[in-house]
Amino acid sequence: MATNNGAQFNRHPEPTFSSDQLVFTSDEKSAMQGYLEMYPEPEGAIMRGLWLAQEKFGFLPPEVIRLVADELGIPYARAYGVATFYTQYFKQKKGTYVLDVCTCFSCQVCGGYDILHYLEDKLGIKAGETSEDGLFTIQEAECLGACGSAPMLQITNGRYVHNLTESKVDSLVSDLKDGKMPAFESVTLPQDETEMGGNRRDDVESLEYYKTPPVAETFE
Amino acid sequence: MATVTIDNKQYEFEGRPLLLQFCTDRGIEIPHFCYHPSMSVPANCRQCLVKAGTPAVDRATRQPKLDEEGNPVIQYFPKLMTSCSMEITDGMVVHTHRSSELVERAQKDNLEFLLVNHPLDCPICDQAGHCPLQIQAYKYGPEGSRFEFEKVHKPKHIKLGPRVMLDGERCINCTRCTRFTAEVSGSHQLTIIERGVNNFPMTPPGVEFDEPYSMNVIDICPVGALTSIDFRFKARIWEMSSAPSITATNAKGSNCFYWVKNNEVLKITARQNTEVNDYWLPDEDREGYQRFNDDRPHGPSGKTDGGMRPMSWEESYAAAVDVLETADPARVLFVGSPHATVEDNYLLSKLAGHLGADTPVYLEHTVPGSGDNWLITDDKTPNASGCERLGFNAADVPLLRSKIQAGGYDVIYVLEDDPVSSGLFDSNVDAKVILHYYNTTNATLAAASVAFPAAMIVETVGTYVNVDGHAQRVRPAKAVKGVNRTLQMEMGKSRLDQHGTPFDKWYDETKLVDCKPGWEIIPEVAKGLGLELSYRGPKQIMEEVSTALPSFTGATYESMGLVGVRLSDTPTLV
Ligand code: SF4
Ligand code: FES
Ligand code: FES
Repeated sequence: MATNNGAQFNRHPEPTFSSDQLVFTSDEKSAMQGYLEMYPEPEGAIMRGLWLAQEKFGFLPPEVIRLVADELGIPYARAYGVATFYTQYFKQKKGTYVLDVCTCFSCQVCGGYDILHYLEDKLGIKAGETSEDGLFTIQEAECLGACGSAPMLQITNGRYVHNLTESKVDSLVSDLKDGKMPAFESVTLPQDETEMGGNRRDDVESLEYYKTPPVAETFE
Repeated sequence: MATVTIDNKQYEFEGRPLLLQFCTDRGIEIPHFCYHPSMSVPANCRQCLVKAGTPAVDRATRQPKLDEEGNPVIQYFPKLMTSCSMEITDGMVVHTHRSSELVERAQKDNLEFLLVNHPLDCPICDQAGHCPLQIQAYKYGPEGSRFEFEKVHKPKHIKLGPRVMLDGERCINCTRCTRFTAEVSGSHQLTIIERGVNNFPMTPPGVEFDEPYSMNVIDICPVGALTSIDFRFKARIWEMSSAPSITATNAKGSNCFYWVKNNEVLKITARQNTEVNDYWLPDEDREGYQRFNDDRPHGPSGKTDGGMRPMSWEESYAAAVDVLETADPARVLFVGSPHATVEDNYLLSKLAGHLGADTPVYLEHTVPGSGDNWLITDDKTPNASGCERLGFNAADVPLLRSKIQAGGYDVIYVLEDDPVSSGLFDSNVDAKVILHYYNTTNATLAAASVAFPAAMIVETVGTYVNVDGHAQRVRPAKAVKGVNRTLQMEMGKSRLDQHGTPFDKWYDETKLVDCKPGWEIIPEVAKGLGLELSYRGPKQIMEEVSTALPSFTGATYESMGLVGVRLSDTPTLV
């Protein structure tokens, strides 16, 4: 877990983006305006605003957070507090693929840490770090709400990869290196099988049925 | 009247009061951290839990359900409730830790949680001794901790701004400080960053916490996470005495405590007065306390053939009488002072009247545009309205200056001010100057024939009138040299033992300033000129002022008490 230590705590970092780069296009501005209209208070629009900026700039250094706050007319401090609260907002530059490996309760019990450490060894970086080629960042994540298919990971705030095993990690990494994003995988749960008459989706590329996840080595 | 039952006792109430505030107002203590009466209620510390319920209503009949004995059946909320955020409703039944073991247990467990990552560095923490976390952990907390792991570490001694230091590990994330900047001062310079065990208040990158009210967060932080950079490690709270008084930095007269150790003022903190400053003080009111300690004079002095020399008090009175007695009253200028008390200015005007001189004028000290319509005023003196109400006019400095330069005055009597710095006259002025002064840095000293060291606002008893016409008393926070029964009586009320007695190891006689309040000096001078100003002290002077002058009606010491009285609007000229 990242702890802040007084000595290395930098309150006045050098900006990454120049003032020329720090502008929103008129389309982006009208999108922001639209967010503002969606909520009774301007503060409500902060999360969408930050998201838009992250899509645009790739991550959210302080100057971008300030830009969003100014655009929405809310205090910079407020926007900064929200941005640091959510791990999905990247405050530092990350790799192309951010692998959020869940190590929360269920995943941990099912081998979340085994997967994390396997991935760390494979890519030669530790959680929180980015590989030299700028392709991968590994992060430890708290529960991502897919405990039923633990252990799992999420790729750059998007696609989930379920029921992880070492070989599944191997193929995932080589696919990503080739620029191949894994297909969306729908996981159905046992209760769906019985109570909902199968509930098997036919509108997705990949379908997984619930199965007992691999038991963690550490757990044994 | 609607009633609420708290710990089996009934209370009446009106409106929809918040339970915690209602209890606090009635002396029923409920431990709490995040709630502050002047800010929004986030209910995030969870320390104020109580068990509460409302009378059950029969759904069918819409009538209150009654038990066999005819008492209303109480339906308790399924979980304990935060009393800070709960509005009282009619018939509500509340159990605090006094009548519910569950509540007692919840408070204890909550404190254990709050202390899990708390560094417990009370022995070196400035807040120790007046720390709500320390006090409440002692009163309501568990005996020890069951948490044997390494604590989470966070940034320590971070300068948030020029005046406030953060220790992130001590913070319990009550958000009082961030709410202050968001809701009270409006600077929005602080926010809580990160999440879970890692969070603490911080400025966003590139921002300094330098707003003019920043130090209020030190007062309201319920732990030692925010401390004053200036005051850090200077004194423990129990080594100091505190005197309830007002600040003299500007015309607002915000209420404060002067904290004194070994007869030196070490810090100034806010004192609540909803009529004046609520719970807040501007930083400028807290800074500059050094002028009460440093560059203070040692006894009176007077000009003889050989230049300025120290004098005894009796000698100096006689020297002042000498100067005044031979002068033509039309050629004597009395300069009153917006720094001095109403009492002192009043006595000065009596002396002027006795001699047949004009009513005193006073020097304005305003910095236009520096005020903020809140607790900082353009006027940098505490008693200009007091002077106005006594019928003094602000001096027209250029006009008066040319008159003085043309030799229009033989004697200038200056009460607690520095007219040379204000440009009223130069230090080589021909007129003889009698001066009451605070600090040896006073530029008028060079022009003085007789110089009386004057007691400052922290050493005297008296009355000040603020910019809104609020008359307030000041009390001595530190002692002066010599015996003055009035001052000692007033001091006695705030723990004389903590001002230092000769038996204290740290007691140091040299810290006593040899000065006197105006209400002691002026009568002595007046006596030499045939005017008896024999009051039993400033209290009696103020009684006379409040009856003699309609602009001061009601301003007696009794009615002013600790919070002051609002005077009627129209200052009446004498
Ligand atoms: S620093 Fe103090 S006031 Fe601010 S959140 Fe922490 S405990 Fe509360
Ligand atoms: S614990 Fe990993 S998804 Fe819930
Ligand atoms: S005072 Fe009620 S939750 Fe903090």
